[in-house]
Amino acid sequence: MKYFSFFLILAITTVLAIAVSMPFGQIPPLAPLLDPYHGFWQNTISEDQLAAAEIDLDNLSAAVEVIYDQNLIPHIFAENEEDLYRAQGYVTAQHRLWQMEFQTMAAAGRISEIVGPVAIELDRMTRRKGLAYGAELGLKHLQEKDPETLALIEAYSDGVNQYITELKDAKLPVEYKILNYRPEPWTAFKSLLLLKYMSDMLVGDRDLEFTNLRQILGVAKLNKLFPDFPTAMDPIIESERIWDFVPITVIKPDSISYPDDSLILKPLTQPEKGTGSNNWAVAGRKTKNGNPILANDPHLSLNLPSLWFAMQLSTPTNSVKGATLPGALGIISGFNRDIAWGVTNATRDTRDWYKITFKDASRTSYKYGAEWKQADVRIEEIKVKGQPAFIDTVIYTHYGPVVYDQSFRGDRQDENFALKWTVHMGSNEQKTFLQMNKAKNHNDYNRALDDYAAPAQNFVFASKSGDIGMRVQGKFPLKWPGQGKFLMDGADPRMEWQGFIPNDQNPNTLNPERGFVSSANQHPTDSTYPYYGFDNSYEHYRNRRLNGRLREMEQITVEDMMALQFDDYNLQASEALPVLIQLLGTYKAEIPEADKYLQELKSWDLYAAPSQKGQTLYSIWSSEVFESVWRELQANAAPVVRPTNFQTIELMTNSPSDSTFDVVSIDGFETAEYHVRVGFDSLLVAMTKWEAEEGDYSWANYKKTSIQHLVPNFKSFSESNVYTGGGSGMLNATGSRHGASWRMVVELGPEVQAFGVYPGGQSGNPGSRFYNNLIPIWAKGEYLNFKLRGVQNQDDILFQTTLK
Amino acid sequence: MRFIFLTLLTAILVIFLNAVAPYWMVMIGIAFLTALLSPNGIGGFMGGGLGMGLTWLGQCIYLEVITGSSLPDYMGKLMGVGTGITLVAATGLMGFLLGAFSGWTGVLFRKMFLREPEDLYRG
Repeated sequence: MKYFSFFLILAITTVLAIAVSMPFGQIPPLAPLLDPYHGFWQNTISEDQLAAAEIDLDNLSAAVEVIYDQNLIPHIFAENEEDLYRAQGYVTAQHRLWQMEFQTMAAAGRISEIVGPVAIELDRMTRRKGLAYGAELGLKHLQEKDPETLALIEAYSDGVNQYITELKDAKLPVEYKILNYRPEPWTAFKSLLLLKYMSDMLVGDRDLEFTNLRQILGVAKLNKLFPDFPTAMDPIIESERIWDFVPITVIKPDSISYPDDSLILKPLTQPEKGTGSNNWAVAGRKTKNGNPILANDPHLSLNLPSLWFAMQLSTPTNSVKGATLPGALGIISGFNRDIAWGVTNATRDTRDWYKITFKDASRTSYKYGAEWKQADVRIEEIKVKGQPAFIDTVIYTHYGPVVYDQSFRGDRQDENFALKWTVHMGSNEQKTFLQMNKAKNHNDYNRALDDYAAPAQNFVFASKSGDIGMRVQGKFPLKWPGQGKFLMDGADPRMEWQGFIPNDQNPNTLNPERGFVSSANQHPTDSTYPYYGFDNSYEHYRNRRLNGRLREMEQITVEDMMALQFDDYNLQASEALPVLIQLLGTYKAEIPEADKYLQELKSWDLYAAPSQKGQTLYSIWSSEVFESVWRELQANAAPVVRPTNFQTIELMTNSPSDSTFDVVSIDGFETAEYHVRVGFDSLLVAMTKWEAEEGDYSWANYKKTSIQHLVPNFKSFSESNVYTGGGSGMLNATGSRHGASWRMVVELGPEVQAFGVYPGGQSGNPGSRFYNNLIPIWAKGEYLNFKLRGVQNQDDILFQTTLK
Repeated sequence: MRFIFLTLLTAILVIFLNAVAPYWMVMIGIAFLTALLSPNGIGGFMGGGLGMGLTWLGQCIYLEVITGSSLPDYMGKLMGVGTGITLVAATGLMGFLLGAFSGWTGVLFRKMFLREPEDLYRG
């Protein structure tokens, strides 16, 4: 009996111990998670409570000092670059390990390993886009052509890996504990992959939609609704710029035949609406102190942990400070003692699609001119949590991977569309940032940019010596007008890109007469630039507001530039609202609620402050009007893209009786007035519902800005309903899910003054007091002092660690 | 008395061993400790349970107090159990169950090796 009792209770105890150590469905193992010595409770401890005065870090040539300021911003002081980047890797991993690994797993198409079969489709898409393939080529490029940069990336990886090796369960980021996996070793490949991830986030194309539009609308109407150069345009490079180089001749084929398929495919995910940025620099002659001032605010999805991690990186010869990307070396947007620089996305179509004609069902060779070219096969093994691996076969042509085929989003055997993208060409973006961090003048800045390929960016520049400049930098294909706008025939060699625009012929300007340079994702140049560059996502409002303000501003101060970054004047509303009100006339004026909303709109000052109600009403009304105008076009089975709001407003203003406004399915002939009324009816319905359910319709309450954790299901790790103004098309482009992910203003005087902030916090740990502590500062348009620190400066430090 | 002694020693064991070892090693430790101290069945169960449960509970409360972190509340919402208070209780309960069954196992383990007197008159 005593033996039986023992073995029975032993069995129960063992089963209990095993049961609480195993996951059940989406529920993580409970005991490791709840164990207060190793589980999530340990993640309640903030970084300053864990501070160590000394940490062993192997492979350093000398001790490295890391000084944290009161906001947990590390200032790293190393004796040489290799030590510096080793320490950067270690320190970044200390605070952002889960995020940096998760992002690279997303870029590698490995999310199914973490979350299970729900992500297989996403992973297939990512792999078929060839991000990992691009990173492999990037690594090969470094191995063959730039071993110095590769050595620094490997030093960074070593720093990350030393942290991973010593990482105890207790200090494991909480996301690993919940999702029940552990970090794997970091590699140089992953750092390169991260930069490909940025390309994927920022680059889109609408080739398939435009192919459909060409068939639906015809070429003439397509050109009318989607002009290459809209009427009100204020390009990045000032129109006065003379292009004093001899351009390469690009020959357009005599007769072009596009595949005329109707493409009922689900297009690739596009950059999130609102993704964009502002940057500018003003010359000393326009500023109060006579020093150039530079400002940058990249607009991206608002996420936690924040995309950015602020740092100062110092060696005896250089100190640079600003925003880093966890996983990449150096500062991405920042300043040193001599220069400052910043980035905005240079939206440009660098992704093209080719229809591939395979010889037979084996898809081993495809037609190219008079010959059959050999295709390559890449087997993608997608590991899936809790299931056998999913095997995907991707065919690679000389253009690039065949993304769409019968096994992926295609219905027919002849639907094989290959993607050609500059991301698939070996490049060295990391070197650009390493060089830029050390640049002393405009020549250094230009040299640094020569290595930069993708994602194309508008690099703003200012120096202490008084220069300001802008360069639109990327690897831009040479195309004949219209090339790459539609799906092309991959069997026709004349459809090939004809080389690349030389770096020194990319749009650029230095010290323009107007006294400022700026970019806000608009057209890079006017039509005098000798090369064809198309994109469907050029912005039409922020740039005009920005340039308008910069033209009229004088005696500019840092505070003025901060205010301009937070400017929420709605230029679109200033142009569209009078037209909408005029076209509405007295429609439904007899209804008290309608009259109330209309009076609120008429008295609105056109600023999208958080307490404004006019902005809410305009936002709903205008979007319903645009929706109504293009409803029939968008009802097509084949995916299309609709004309820009700018183009729609212009059409409503200048040609309200244009045939575009006619609704075929309704008898009679509809004009713009019809759509304005339909939109107003929708506004009344929406407001009745909103007022009944939510009450207050002030702008901040309506738009509900939220900063979401990278795992959307982790809602409690997110920040919801942040009280802040701004919105799409405004300089403060803070919408509900996107906005200024980093704001920086730098005055390049004898001693550089700098200020910055981002919507998050330095810690990646949701339990830390530094996880989201910067959000209230950011939401109010305030900044942290980002002045460079010296190693001896002990003022306001949180703690200091010596790595040795 | 032996029960109180076991509870205290279990708590000390959890504090020092759990800091460097996972919970299942602590369970083995409690089983051996209980076998060593030889309480009765209920004493082993309660002593092991309370020793581990109260220590886990105390550690949660201590961390909550010194950090002021919102993480327990975040986790409570994430796990669909409301606030962090529920997780404090769940952690204490989990510690109690793991410690209690370990203690009971230890008691029964020792009993296996005790020789029952053979010369007792059983009527």
